Amino acid sequence: MYSDTELDVIAADGIKELNYKQKKLFLASLSRANADREKYKAELIKIIGDGVYNKLRDKFLSPDFREELIAGYEKRRVECVTVKSADYPYLLKNTPVPPLVLYVRGNRSLIDTRMLGVVGSRRTTAQVIEQCKNICAQLSAHVTVVTGVADGADTAAAKGGLETGNVACVLPYGHDADSTPTLREVEKNGLSISEFPPMTKAQRYTFTLRNRVLAGLCDGVLVVSAGEKSGALSTANYAADYSRDVFAFPYGIGVSSGVGCNTLIKNGAYLADCAGDVLRTLDIEEDVSEQPELDGDERAIVNLLKSEGEMHAQKIATRLNKKLTDIITVCSMLEIKRLIIRTGGNTFSAL
Amino acid sequence: MEKPRLSASGVQKGIQMLSKITSYAVVGLEGVPVEVETDINKGMVSYELVGLPDAAVKESKERVYSAIRNSALRFPVNKITVNLAPADIKKEGSQYDLPIAISLLVASQQLQGKTDGTVLLGELALDGSLRAVTGILPILISAKNKGYTRFVVPEGNANEASYIEGIEVYALKSLREAYDFLSGTPFAPVQVRSFEQTRASATYNCDLALVRGQEVAKRALEIAVAGGHNILLSGPPGTGKTMLARCIPTIMPDMTFDEALEVTKILSVSGELGEEGIVSLRPFRTPHHTATTVSLCGGGNTKIKAGEISKAHRGVLFLDELPEYTRSALESLRQPLEDGKITVTRAGGAVTFPADFILCASMNPCPCGNLGSKERQCTCTPAQIRKYRSKISGPLLDRIDLQVEVDGVKYEDLAGESDGEPSAEVKKRVERARAIQRERFRNEEGVNVNADMGERQIKAYCRLSPECEKILRAAFERLHLSARARSRIIKVARTIADLDCSERIEPNHILEATSYRNFDSNSER
Repeated sequence: MYSDTELDVIAADGIKELNYKQKKLFLASLSRANADREKYKAELIKIIGDGVYNKLRDKFLSPDFREELIAGYEKRRVECVTVKSADYPYLLKNTPVPPLVLYVRGNRSLIDTRMLGVVGSRRTTAQVIEQCKNICAQLSAHVTVVTGVADGADTAAAKGGLETGNVACVLPYGHDADSTPTLREVEKNGLSISEFPPMTKAQRYTFTLRNRVLAGLCDGVLVVSAGEKSGALSTANYAADYSRDVFAFPYGIGVSSGVGCNTLIKNGAYLADCAGDVLRTLDIEEDVSEQPELDGDERAIVNLLKSEGEMHAQKIATRLNKKLTDIITVCSMLEIKRLIIRTGGNTFSAL
Repeated sequence: MEKPRLSASGVQKGIQMLSKITSYAVVGLEGVPVEVETDINKGMVSYELVGLPDAAVKESKERVYSAIRNSALRFPVNKITVNLAPADIKKEGSQYDLPIAISLLVASQQLQGKTDGTVLLGELALDGSLRAVTGILPILISAKNKGYTRFVVPEGNANEASYIEGIEVYALKSLREAYDFLSGTPFAPVQVRSFEQTRASATYNCDLALVRGQEVAKRALEIAVAGGHNILLSGPPGTGKTMLARCIPTIMPDMTFDEALEVTKILSVSGELGEEGIVSLRPFRTPHHTATTVSLCGGGNTKIKAGEISKAHRGVLFLDELPEYTRSALESLRQPLEDGKITVTRAGGAVTFPADFILCASMNPCPCGNLGSKERQCTCTPAQIRKYRSKISGPLLDRIDLQVEVDGVKYEDLAGESDGEPSAEVKKRVERARAIQRERFRNEEGVNVNADMGERQIKAYCRLSPECEKILRAAFERLHLSARARSRIIKVARTIADLDCSERIEPNHILEATSYRNFDSNSER
């Protein structure tokens, strides 16, 4: 159960009339341990006025209000991790504006683990989606993968992380204001985190606020895809501000969904194209995964795709001097073995 | 020729002026006999046409009047009543002109020849010549089954009438000829033609050899036709989806005479029959995406007409830009895709039309069309793509066994210059696979090809080896296939095995089948 100090924070955060700064002043002005509380009180009254302050104080102190708040959260299966809680993430606490309360649902023990942010844009190519999923699956064996809830790269990262369950989604809205199938999966096996009380609707600005929390939680942030102006870049900027490691996938020239990633690399981000790159920088030892067994044709196709990149089934057939139907068959097998993927229009690409 | 001499009124006192002529109406695709009765009596000069005639039939009076006069015959000036019996069927179309005119001539005793047992059909021009009418073939078939053997039809319908054996059809030019014929002047009946000859001389104007590249899609078409599977082609605009679809009839087995009659009947009733008089090439119908449910499935208030899906019977229904069709139009396809026929029920009655076709649909991979293209960037968000694809409902996709991507790249870039395989070669393989299936489904009611298989037949004829089961399970796990994709993949694998002349479904057949399912696994993108 929550301690009294925790309850104070939860109650203060539950007062909708106040903004972040006012809530902090409000809490300070009512804190028994704080010697300067009269000063804070005077400052807050200057902003919101005498009457409102007294009204809010009464509300804050009323047991009914607190009980109702807590019961409501419990009904929604939402737990509160406050700045006063023992498991409040250390890294986030030391950012300039840490959320007073993190509302979480799912496996709470993940909140105080080592985290790595994986973010990207909605418009991400099929190949990168698949890469992202693979890398996140590998990373999640060592760290908790933290991502958003958007389509595309975020969803792929969450799916990758779900392989081990070490995955957390940071929401740009309060719990239950919105949901996606992937988010429901994450809440079952991983954790969802929001700094907004349940049912708070998403607004334009809540996405930036969310990016700040995501970056604050993590040791590093991996940007898998980002256009010229992408939300993923905002997360990367926060991460850089908080002196976290920033990683980015490299992209070819003229790939619009990767311009932002290349810019990050230009500006000093680590270039990462496999899980090992990230883990080494974070000083984590990776275990060597065994290679699946391949027969002659399978190896030939994988090698061809690895050396020459994306290729059409017909071209593979021509290059290897085989029948097209045989190539299709082998490619299906390789797809099942997750060594290659389809990138549209009957072209294949190695992973 | 000498005119029959009669009194000025055309009526002789004391003689009953009644005549009965047989004609035919078309209800749905069946012919129904219609008696044209004419009574000429004393009284106020009038002309009454009764028996539920529609506008075209009512107007026949003016045509009949002029045609009789212009054929050097006399239009009786008395109280005339023409009745089309049975009185409860709505009479439509213009084929009653000739029987009405002849019955007037008989009733007014200008014509004394034998008219019993002869079915008369034809529209009259004002100068007395006969114009072609629709629905001759279904009428001839129904009438022949009823025991009628002598028919008079307009000359323009001669070709259509020439494929039925065991009846005498006289294709005449004018009312005057009909008059002479019924008076006893001999005319030569229409020569019976052989369907095989007509079919041999007919050719499609496209061929798989003319389609450059697209080998994956061509292979998918071969499988689709061999197993009677419906197919969805997806790919960027301008990559030849329509061209590929047009080639499907060229690799389908030749139509049998019975199949040709079924198709011809539908087109004959719809008035879309060409010069040849019979359809010997498999139909290829491409309704525009603005098509309504009624135009696809058939309908109409009084006369129920066949829709596009019935006109595609025994052939191909090609729906270009599938998501652009209205939801209701697409959903209406589900039941006919299952049953191979459609029953259209209206106030005027219920009619069942056959609708056994291969559905070939095409669509862009995303709203902008460039998803997966190497040259142009796709500008769609995943949400837009999902919305676009969700216009095609799951139950409809369930009935499309093969979902194939067409290449967005130039063929020369893939394999250099080389010629494709001609349709005739592919057709041979298809026919072989079809023969295997006929043998397999010999004792199965309503199952002719692999695509028709239900769960029971899949269990009986598509036993999978443990190795195949393992691959299939792995494919499901790794490729996120939906549960309903399973029977589709197995059916397609069965067809691939048939094309391979393989008794059992081998792992490579399963693997190839899984590659034609791009809609099941891409959904999360």
